[in-house]
Amino acid sequence: MGAFERMLPDTAATEAFGAELGGILRPGDAVILAGELGAGKTALTRGIGAALGAEGAVSSPTFVIARTHRTARGMPLVHVDAYRLVSSSELDDLDIDFPASITVIEWGRGLAEPVLDAWLDLELTRPKGGALDPEADPDEPRRLVAIPHGGDWAERLSTLTP
Amino acid sequence: MLGIETSCDETGVGIVRGRDLLANVIASSMEEQARFGGVVPEVAARAHLEALQPTLAAALAEAGVGLADLDALAVTSGPGLAGALMVGIGAAKGLAQATGLPLYGVNHLVGHVGADLLRTETDADRGELELPTIALLVSGGHTSLLLVRDLLDDVELLGETIDDAAGEAFDKVARLLGLPYPGGPEIDRAAASGDPGAIRFPRGLTAPKDRDRHRYDFSFSGLKTAVARWVEAARDRGEEVAVPDVAASFREAVVDVLTAKALDACREHGIPRLLLGGGVVANRRLRELAETRAADAGVALRIPPLALCTDNGAMIAAIGAQLVDAGRPPSDPRFGADSTLPVTRVQA
Repeated sequence: MGAFERMLPDTAATEAFGAELGGILRPGDAVILAGELGAGKTALTRGIGAALGAEGAVSSPTFVIARTHRTARGMPLVHVDAYRLVSSSELDDLDIDFPASITVIEWGRGLAEPVLDAWLDLELTRPKGGALDPEADPDEPRRLVAIPHGGDWAERLSTLTP
Repeated sequence: MLGIETSCDETGVGIVRGRDLLANVIASSMEEQARFGGVVPEVAARAHLEALQPTLAAALAEAGVGLADLDALAVTSGPGLAGALMVGIGAAKGLAQATGLPLYGVNHLVGHVGADLLRTETDADRGELELPTIALLVSGGHTSLLLVRDLLDDVELLGETIDDAAGEAFDKVARLLGLPYPGGPEIDRAAASGDPGAIRFPRGLTAPKDRDRHRYDFSFSGLKTAVARWVEAARDRGEEVAVPDVAASFREAVVDVLTAKALDACREHGIPRLLLGGGVVANRRLRELAETRAADAGVALRIPPLALCTDNGAMIAAIGAQLVDAGRPPSDPRFGADSTLPVTRVQA
């Protein structure tokens, strides 16, 4: 399993990676996004949305749990925040049309896998604690690690430059 | 005119006569939601289903009218949680069918502006809503800046949040600080004894580089990250986190950006009027800073009574009444829930 790693220097780079990834996505794809509060999960999804031509603002889905965007490419983009879901069956209850959609699941690790056959696991890590100057620009680098699970994810990942 | 609102976790039924408020009854599933740390759409939809009938009966009793006295019905058609909206729309359509009354589908966000039209017995001296106005709507699910030239025909979205809504940022920071849901009142309480100037947290999308693309947009994600890092750093040093100072400084950063951008919009559009709406208006510090800054800028600030700022059915009825007065036909009976209904569509 070839893991894929990249440093993303700022939010714009996180969005740009999302857009790059958006370019290789197709209906039926599921992306699990891991990373703590403020790691850049929504920013990355915003990039995916931009690449797909998603309608409406791709903002945080926390409040609504799942938000569906129509896209210029035809397939819906379903943006999920699974933080408040406690089991896979609750994710199942959302009645997401996985085969027809591109589904991005924030906080999905450890919860979404049982309802998926194949998925791309993405983890974003931001600098933690340490010597923080609160006046400084909060736009700091993120480390991205992508791990393919099943399907042809490994092949598709290899088309992106680390 | 009777209005039904079920876009989120409050089941609201309001009754108005023109611009006079006759009844405003709200049932909230907040307590139920608190167990889940936030609104769960399926829980909300079920709660609406249970609360609708009693809320309707209570509103009719409060107004002292029967169904036969009504002239028309209005219901929120979006934006909001699809499942929750569907419950209200289904109930409204059933009521329309049974009574033969015309039904109007109304935009929730424009409803928040319409709330300011309503006259109650206690605020007869508030004066009239004048247009055009800038409107800042802030709640758990929305952070939007609108330019309202005409309530029914000309509402423009100037900006909105590109990540977390303001109310959501309060919830997430409360989580970081180990405070319960909902975060707004908890942060407010903790902030009371804190120093808002203790930590200078970042103000999202206020840098010169964001001026063109995100002039009136909001971002609270960077602020949330900064709070997370500050809390982690304190814990790494083995220090106790100064919760009151963090809460006060965080809240200051949120209300600073909200009010600054709203007043920028007033100035840049040459509109000396600002209206606040949405549940976060319950935040005392937001009202305070808005009042100070509006006064300094010579902007007339309007804040509807709090019971009309949070989600409610009366504001939906208020817009419905305006639609009837303007001679608009009822909505096509096939209209459905539209979770992303744009503000440019006032009627479904």
